[in-house]
Formats: sequence, structure tokens, C-alpha cells
Amino acid sequence: MKRNKGMIILFLTPAVFMFSVIFLYPIIRTVIMSFFKIDGITDPVARWQFTGLANFTKLANTSLFRISMWNLLRIWFFGGIIVMSLALLFAVIITSGIRFKSFFRAVIYLPNIVSAVALATMWLQYVYSPKFGLLKTVFTNLGLTDLAKIQWLDNDHKFASLLLAYCFGMVGYHMLIFASGIERISSDYFEAATLDGANKLNQFRYITVPLLKGVFKTNITMWSVTSVGFFVWSQLFSTVTADTQTITPMVYMYMQIFGAGNSITERNSGLGAAIGVLLSVCVVAVFWICNHLMKDDDLEF
Amino acid sequence: MAREKKYREPVNWKKELRLAPGYLIILLWITFTFVLLGWVLLASFSTTKEIFSNKLLASGLHFENYVKAWINSDVAGIFRNSLIYSVISCTLLIVICAPAAYVLARFIFPGNKLIQTGFVSAMGVPVVMIVLPLFGIVASMGILNNVMSNTVLLIFLYIGINVPYTTIFLMTFFSNLSRAFEEAAAIDGCPPTKAFWLIMLPMAQPGIITVTIFNFINIWNEYFISLIFANSDNLRPIAVGLYSMINSMKYTGDWAGMFAAVVIVFLPTFILYIFLSEKIIAGVTGGGVKG
Repeated sequence: MKRNKGMIILFLTPAVFMFSVIFLYPIIRTVIMSFFKIDGITDPVARWQFTGLANFTKLANTSLFRISMWNLLRIWFFGGIIVMSLALLFAVIITSGIRFKSFFRAVIYLPNIVSAVALATMWLQYVYSPKFGLLKTVFTNLGLTDLAKIQWLDNDHKFASLLLAYCFGMVGYHMLIFASGIERISSDYFEAATLDGANKLNQFRYITVPLLKGVFKTNITMWSVTSVGFFVWSQLFSTVTADTQTITPMVYMYMQIFGAGNSITERNSGLGAAIGVLLSVCVVAVFWICNHLMKDDDLEF
Repeated sequence: MAREKKYREPVNWKKELRLAPGYLIILLWITFTFVLLGWVLLASFSTTKEIFSNKLLASGLHFENYVKAWINSDVAGIFRNSLIYSVISCTLLIVICAPAAYVLARFIFPGNKLIQTGFVSAMGVPVVMIVLPLFGIVASMGILNNVMSNTVLLIFLYIGINVPYTTIFLMTFFSNLSRAFEEAAAIDGCPPTKAFWLIMLPMAQPGIITVTIFNFINIWNEYFISLIFANSDNLRPIAVGLYSMINSMKYTGDWAGMFAAVVIVFLPTFILYIFLSEKIIAGVTGGGVKG
């Protein structure tokens, strides 16, 4: 042990140093900043003015920020339902003993490795294009002229279009997590159930779902973590800086602190920090609720 | 991850028929994916006129879209930037994280659990939580005004952001390696530090390759950090560069060139994926994330 002490310190120092510089120190500083009014982001601490919870109440009273939180909630909730159901469905199919399993799995995961900017451009400029778009072509050929005429990127449809495109890119990752969870369940359970006369649907309901609790938890947590950072897609789908249909808290923060937006009346970095704190609290809350609603230690398998 | 069965089962039509709805759903989804990517690929070889009249490739292959995007719109520049950032960051990440992961996996010492918890929690921290103080420090030090220091800063940030994930991933990998190797090395008089570099690190190669692919894809596609910290146009990585390029191409009306740029950006990760998809998929479910 004593001989190893030097080695432990030597081996750990670079990683722990990076972690402290990039995560630990900034997180602590952001929490502190959220309670201060800070005119310039480079201002020394001496020029910060303590304002208590003023940043948070200010955010709560800013309608654009409220809209951005509402959008985030919609993305998280509706997107979550769409992504989780599709991911679970695909995972069940993939693990049901079909042929070409690896190929199917690889193609479904493919969108996840593509740059979000490239993927969003494909959707925006091709699928939703009002001139040569995929949706337009398909609906015209099917004779559904009403559907073909829909302007997918106008204000009424923009949010739904954004959400759909985003979900398409996210399904693969969550499918893999579900699939690996299902594969860990011993096939004995399913065989025993089949012998007892349970059909596939009942097997899914009474064996797969209860045993996947932990996996659900992982998936919901990961989904929340990625949702909170929702940024690129909004930026690509919005035509103006403060687009109420697509704005999310990250976009709002960027606009306030770094943006070239002209709607800014005052710069206050404390406000940006407060947004960060708020979003982190959301993630922790989701994590906590998941852990309490789904205790998976009562099942051993 | 269990090895797939190598032999082909004879086709059992009754079983396949029962699975038909499953096949149908998956095929629909996959067809859509292929149409999406395929159309963009074909469009990148067509003229803008052909794209608008829905007659892709009517006048043959137009490689000049790629030439134009690569040279005129300087995709070459942002491509080179991203390549430099990704390669350097991925290499240094292994040099920094592998030793730490090894020590965390092998030795019991005060603070071990604490560091692990810290790293795992860091994976769930939103970027907004860290970006303001970092920007404050960096801006007040004047790092952003110099191309060289800005480049170093970007690489430093890419490394830092991926340290927790890489360390935790490699840690699970090291803890699965047998202790017998180090014990044998110790008996032969090899000091533990040397044993790590000469014996354990090469043995962890599969894990290192997987995590490096992930880091590469992450850094290649990274957007937010680069948007804020890359202060000059010459420093932009591919995602940020593509974004501004798309915006300008929409106004010049060069749609074919735009799709060519999209394909160029997409290609490196796609080629990696074609050759290594099994490794990547095993990595998603194997490391870091525990069910």
C-alpha cells in the first residue's frame, strides 16, 4: 500500500485536476453567481452585488423565459413519451429473435452518430421542404392533397416538426439501453410462462416491464439530461433569435449572455447562472422522483 | 456481450410469420432512414435546379458541388480544425484517464469512492452549469484574443468535458481484468507503475478503442462549447462551421453545395460507424451506463 501511494497520486492528479477545473470549480461558482447581479461576465467578485433570490424571481416574471421553460417541458414530456415508446417497441422487436438483428440495430442507432447540425439540416431542407420535401412528395403521391399542402415550418407546425425530427435522432440510443436490459432477463422466465400458457403480450406486461424498472430509470435520467441541454435543434429551426415556438432555456441563456440579440436591455450574468441552477435542479428532481417511484432493489433476478 | 450465433438457422416460416408485424415496423423505420440519407447523398451530386424539380441526377454526377464546398466555402478548413481537435483530445484523454481509471479500479484508498461519485455525477451536469465561470476566467485572461492560445483552450475544454465519462468507462474495463498479471509482474520485480504501462494498458486495448471512438464522435459533433469559445472563424470546428455555412448557402441559393457540405461533415463518423458499429453498440450498453 505504502509503495503504491506515490503511484496513486501520480496517476490520479491529471484527471482530478481536469475534473476540478472544468466541473467542480465552475459548478460551485455558478451556484454562487446565481445569487448575485453581475454586469459583466469578466467582472471581479468585488463588483458583484448580492441580490438574494432576485435573479430567480426575475426569471419567473420574464414571459420569454417562462415560454422557454414551457417548451422544454413539452419537449421532455411529449418527446419522452414518443421516444420511450418507440425505443421500447423496437427493443422488444429486435430481441424477439428476428433475422438481421445486428443490421437493424445498427441502422436504428445510426442517426445518433450524425452531427446534430447535419441531421437537423436534412430534416429542415429535405423532409419538411415546401418545394421538394419528402412529406410533400409522399402525400401528393398518396393523393392526400390537404396533408401535402401543410407548411411544416410555419408557426403552427414548427414545434411539432422540431420535436419529431429530434425524436427520430434520439430513439436509437434509448433502444440500445432497453434492448440490453431485455437481453439480461433470463429466457427461462419466458419459457416457463409460455409453458403456463401466457401469451406474448402478457409476458411483456408481467415479465419484461417489471424486470426493466432499472433500465427505465436509466433511460428517463439520460433523456432528462439530454433534454435540458436542448440547443442546436432550436437554433437551427428558428428563423429569428427569440422564436417563441422553439426557444428553450439554453437558447434564452445564450441570447442573454453571449448573443447578438437586440432584445437585451441589460446584461446580467447572474441571470444566466440562475438558469443553470434551475435546470440542474430539474435534473436532480427527476432523478430523485425516479429513484423513489421505481425502487428496483425489491426484485432479484 | 454475447457472441452472435455464427450458423444460420433454417428458415422456420411459422416463426417468421409470427414475427411479421415486427419486421414490418422495423423495415418501415429503416426505409425512412435510408430514404433520408440516400436522398441527401443523391442531392449532393445533383444541380440545384434538379433538386427543385425533383429529378435528382438527371444530368449525371456533379462532383463540382464537393469541390465548391471543399474549396470555396472552406469546408476543408473546418474539417482540418475538427480533425486536429479530435485526434489530439482523444489521445490526451487516454493518457490522462487510463492511469486514473486503473488506480480507481485497483486500489483502496480514502477518497476513491468520492472521486468516482464526483465523476459519475459530472456526466449528468448540464453545460449551462459550467460555461459561465469558464468563460469569465478565459475572457479575463485574454486567452480568446490569440489564435494559438484559443486552440489550446478548445482542446483543453474538449478533454476536460470528456474526462469523467472516459475514466468511468475505462474503470469498469480495468476492474474486469485479472489481478494475476500484476502479481506475476511484481514477483518478477517489475514496479507497479511500469507494470501498468507495459502490461495492463495494452491489455485494456479493446476498451480504449471503444471509448476513443465515442470521444471522437462526441468531439467531432460538439457544438455548444465551440460556439462560445471558438473566437475566430479560422478556429471553428465542423459543427459550428457547417451551421454558418448552411445559413449563407440558403441565401446564395446553392442547395446542392449545401447538401455536399452536409455529406462531408457526416462522412467521417459514418465511415467509422460502418466498420465499428458492433464495437460502438457494445460500448453504449457496456460501459458507463449501468442498467
